[in-house]
Amino acid sequence: MRITVCWKWVAVDGADPDDRWAGVSPADEAALETALTLAGNGGEVTVVTVGATGSDAGLRRATAVGATHVIRVDGEGLGARDVARAIAPIARGSDYVLCGDYSLDRGTGAVPAYLAAELGAAQALGLVGVDRTRVPLRVVRRLDGGRREILDVPTPAVLSVEGAVARLRRAGLAETLSASTATIEVVAGPRPAEHDVVVTPYRPRARMLPPPSGGTLARVRDILDIGAAPAHGDAVTLDPPEAAQRIIDQLREWRYLPRDTA
Amino acid sequence: MADVDVVVVGAGPAGSTAATVLARAGHSVILLERGPFPGSKNMYGGVVYPRILDQLHPEWWEDAPIQRWVTRRSTMVLTDDQALTVDFRSEKWGRPPYNGATAFRPDWDSWLASKAQAAGATLVCSTTATGLLRERGRVVGVTTDRPEGDLRADVVIACDGVNSFLAKDAGLYGEVDAANYTVGVKETLGLPKEVIDERFAVRGREGVDIEILGGTGGVNGGAFLYTNFDTLAVGCVLKLPALAAQELRPEAIIAGLKRHPAIAPLVEGGDVAEYSAHVIPEAGLAMMPKMTGDGILVAGDAAAMCLAAGIWLEGVNFAMASGIYAGEAAAEALAAGDPSAAGLAGYERRLEDTFVLRDHRKLRRAPGLVLSDRVQHLYPEMIANTVERMFRVDNPAPKPGLRAIFNSERKRAGIKLADLARDARDGLRSFG
Repeated sequence: MRITVCWKWVAVDGADPDDRWAGVSPADEAALETALTLAGNGGEVTVVTVGATGSDAGLRRATAVGATHVIRVDGEGLGARDVARAIAPIARGSDYVLCGDYSLDRGTGAVPAYLAAELGAAQALGLVGVDRTRVPLRVVRRLDGGRREILDVPTPAVLSVEGAVARLRRAGLAETLSASTATIEVVAGPRPAEHDVVVTPYRPRARMLPPPSGGTLARVRDILDIGAAPAHGDAVTLDPPEAAQRIIDQLREWRYLPRDTA
Repeated sequence: MADVDVVVVGAGPAGSTAATVLARAGHSVILLERGPFPGSKNMYGGVVYPRILDQLHPEWWEDAPIQRWVTRRSTMVLTDDQALTVDFRSEKWGRPPYNGATAFRPDWDSWLASKAQAAGATLVCSTTATGLLRERGRVVGVTTDRPEGDLRADVVIACDGVNSFLAKDAGLYGEVDAANYTVGVKETLGLPKEVIDERFAVRGREGVDIEILGGTGGVNGGAFLYTNFDTLAVGCVLKLPALAAQELRPEAIIAGLKRHPAIAPLVEGGDVAEYSAHVIPEAGLAMMPKMTGDGILVAGDAAAMCLAAGIWLEGVNFAMASGIYAGEAAAEALAAGDPSAAGLAGYERRLEDTFVLRDHRKLRRAPGLVLSDRVQHLYPEMIANTVERMFRVDNPAPKPGLRAIFNSERKRAGIKLADLARDARDGLRSFG
């Protein structure tokens, strides 16, 4: 069995990227573990990443845990479609292509779908379970509202898994040592296309919240975050009838009372 | 058959310098680090004195990741509502070869480890050495938490920090006494650089180191305030049994320190960027283990090489020096083909001949004196009250003599002349 795993190595942004806090998402790690388990002893697992030299550290780790080949496509700042086009020639011929459901920088999550389109493969994305004992492969997909979809996936297929699907195994010491000096195969990547999908910052999904309690004024105050009623108006000393009339006039002016009410 | 000449456990200041020396001597070295990168799990107050690197990394200041060069050094005595500060500043400390610097450990340790890698050492992170491999009583390597993680080596250098499991496993430590340890706690407070410059009267990369006696909520210990580039490090070092007896939370003690009228204006408005804590081997010479065994050397905090002598509070320089000497001694032993304790004896000889053990020997009484109840609880008030009366203008009363003020304040604090004389003698022996 031949499996390709796509990893995205994410470093801390800034003028001087710092690889100490860089890494791949738990979902990407779960993808590799799932691939290693599916491939078993005789299988072949290729890990591919699109990125700069910093991502070699991630590929070394993939080698140490048992990836058969690792390839870095040299390129930065590519959109999801370009990334998929860069990976497609490497992934072509694989039984499965496994991706993480999200990257550490919470990109578009669109690469697996584009990749499936490039390869003409089936796709099952956002998986919460992979049952490797069944042929064809049976997977469980998360749907909205806590529902699940169970799919039997033909080959070739692109699968993206959530982080909880599997925990990446720990590399042996000898493998870690030999991987630390391994040569990483690098292939040239495409130039960024000018009109591609724009990667926007991660935006949390909208949630339904109960309506605020209290009247309109309280809601306005909540929204404006002004807390207690602001003190306004002036202090006057009047006889009771005059005072009552003054209050009624003021309430009319603020439109708490209709203006034509006598 | 060894996998490698030397395994250095812990890529802190001791481990990385040891690995650098050995790799440069042509030996194969594996530097094991528990954290995901060197310095990721380490913590200290924040000041390093790196002149020991002059030989190992000439002109180290060109690329060392420092926050600020310490050009102002203050020692402060605090009571609840008084503060006496002795403040010194020198422009010389702001230019090469410099003196002290504030630095973040993730930066400093990563930088030192990168030097070891450049020299040819292999750094393996996220790997914990879990024990020692032995053959006929001799240490021949370490076990790690990785699958098939045994690593055989001719020499193991244990730089695995204050609670060194390897040194204990090797039987180099005696009984562990909690009274020998303090806990250091620190808040890192974010403030704009310009605000720090203005509050502490410094410019550019100049920085301030304030060491404080008092301000620890009645718990024996000390406090500190350091300037980083755009953060402050404020914290305390607290004697463990005293902290336990007082039943105070360390973070509450820091909060109290930050409220002190002499400290509050300096830290006001700072956002807590980080809270950290670490155990410190405070007792110096009194708690040091045997440094050498058959096939094993111990360096840095693992060998309790922390100098806590009140006016001198150093550790990273002792760690780096012990690492260098451990590296040299191991290289010597490997060249002679004798990694036994006798072959590795060059390590202790080097420690004895240099500041590492000379300073500790000379200052062996200092940690006990500094953390003693009189120095901690009675002297600050006596000193502050004496100075307050010295500068107080009590007209129409005439000015009293300084000796009269001092004696009356000494009596008021309940300090016997004999005890004062004894402490003065110990102080002179240590610091004189």
